Amino acid sequence: MQPGLPLSRSWPMWLIIGTTLAFLYMPLFPALLLSVRGEGGEEFSLSRFQELWRVPLVMNALRTTAAVALAVGLITPILGLLAALSIRELRMPRLILLIMLLPLFIPGVSMGLASAFLFRVLELPASLPTMVIVQVVWALPFATLIILTVMSTFDPAYLEAAYISGASKWRAFRDIEFPLIAPGIFGAASFSTIISLNETVRTSVVQGPWNTIPTYIWSTYKQVGLSPALYALMTLVILSTVVLAGTYLLLNRPKKVSTFDVIEESAL
Amino acid sequence: MQWRARPWRYFARIGFLSLPLVFVSAFLVVPLVLTVIISFWERVGMKFRPAFSLASYLTVIEGARLKVLERSLIVAVEATALALLIAYPIAYFLARKASAYAARIVLVLFTIPFLINYIIRNVAWTSLLGRNGTINTVLMTMGLTDGPVDWLLYSDFAVLIGLISSYMPFMVFPLVLSIGAIDRQYLEASALLGASPFTTFCRILLPLSLPGIFAAIIFGFVGAFGESAVPIIMGGVGYELVGNTITSSMDVLNYPLAAALSSIVVMIMLVLMLSWYLIFDMRAFLGKILEWRS
Repeated sequence: MQPGLPLSRSWPMWLIIGTTLAFLYMPLFPALLLSVRGEGGEEFSLSRFQELWRVPLVMNALRTTAAVALAVGLITPILGLLAALSIRELRMPRLILLIMLLPLFIPGVSMGLASAFLFRVLELPASLPTMVIVQVVWALPFATLIILTVMSTFDPAYLEAAYISGASKWRAFRDIEFPLIAPGIFGAASFSTIISLNETVRTSVVQGPWNTIPTYIWSTYKQVGLSPALYALMTLVILSTVVLAGTYLLLNRPKKVSTFDVIEESAL
Repeated sequence: MQWRARPWRYFARIGFLSLPLVFVSAFLVVPLVLTVIISFWERVGMKFRPAFSLASYLTVIEGARLKVLERSLIVAVEATALALLIAYPIAYFLARKASAYAARIVLVLFTIPFLINYIIRNVAWTSLLGRNGTINTVLMTMGLTDGPVDWLLYSDFAVLIGLISSYMPFMVFPLVLSIGAIDRQYLEASALLGASPFTTFCRILLPLSLPGIFAAIIFGFVGAFGESAVPIIMGGVGYELVGNTITSSMDVLNYPLAAALSSIVVMIMLVLMLSWYLIFDMRAFLGKILEWRS
């Protein structure tokens, strides 16, 4: 743990950080403020949100978003866990990591276009499964990195102890390692759900007739521009992301060791 | 050997562990190869048929699209450089000067806007930067300008703002990781031997944090160069970068052209990624996981 500079010397840097954060958070406010303004100009009203409930397109998009996010949140952490384990167990870990990180290096449009070609060749119509597949591919590198980070704080001596006591590989994983890295897996699940909730460019290429809330916002914006109803939808996305991110942070609270201590430790 | 004792179990385990690899190969590597193949297809009327034709690539080279590629490259380099200039000092401060507790809180604060849909954030920028937007209103109320400032929106400036605010938060993390992993003693030794902070920065800190810088550059550049939504929102009508040129080719069903443009972009990314992989080892990202194996 480093103690940190006193504020008397570090304030210029805090000013820069504060300004940068203000720049990053500024675009969240128009949606939050304008969505609660009432039709007659009242200061605070939830009428925009009540209106949304009456639009069938929005309700369908909401259901699609929930179904896809749930599927992505369930499938990605399982694949991420397997990926992290394969990096540890199989040969050529660097190459495996590189392939697992590949989706981070491919721009959204290219990934959407390529998936659309594949689904066309496989004669798989655009549907919920195609959206789930594209989003899982996109969320997988993040899930893998989160689980790898948590795994690196796990002491392998526990596994040795389990083997010496006669446990099989599977038994040692199930009874010893899994409970200890479980917070990382749940963290990866909430992170994947967040990514699914916010993904737009890739999904909009393979969605077919199905809209999610973000793709609905995007296509409506392109066709008719901004509206109070759109601000209300944006507020919904922002708030659910913040709630999920909060859940993720609670699950991944540093207990005794944080990622920082690991870096510090390996630096010594 | 393990596999001779229980071959079935051994191969089942390997098969199970390589599921994620198979998944990414099937749904990303194969589709990207398919894109390259389709980029050589030829156009017959409104349909396409398998062929080996360079027509789509010739369209890219001859027409106005080469200009679009050039502009995308310039805009992406500018956005990445500016974002790096902001992110590096912040990452250095968080990794080296701030307390671990404060650094964690700031990193969390950087994560949240990164997670929130960047299309929503860019759309919101238009209502801040527009002629009647918040920023122009503030500027005019303060008497700094007589009329609204026009170049705030639908300009290169706006596109840069959009790209930087979309991708900069993500660049902070690899920088913090690699700067945090530098051995404190190197920096102290350099200072003890009489080097100025500037010399220490140029000769010790900068070279040792290169893997993080390169990773940050890749993340910023991949985002900025392939971006398809930001130019539409922030650049306005007629502002073309390669990303939205791909989507507009798709909208007019010219799939080989979209495939050719996309393949060019992906090739550039793969070259960047492979050079990163070959030049730097990824220990900062794999950490202890690899140490166990030896």
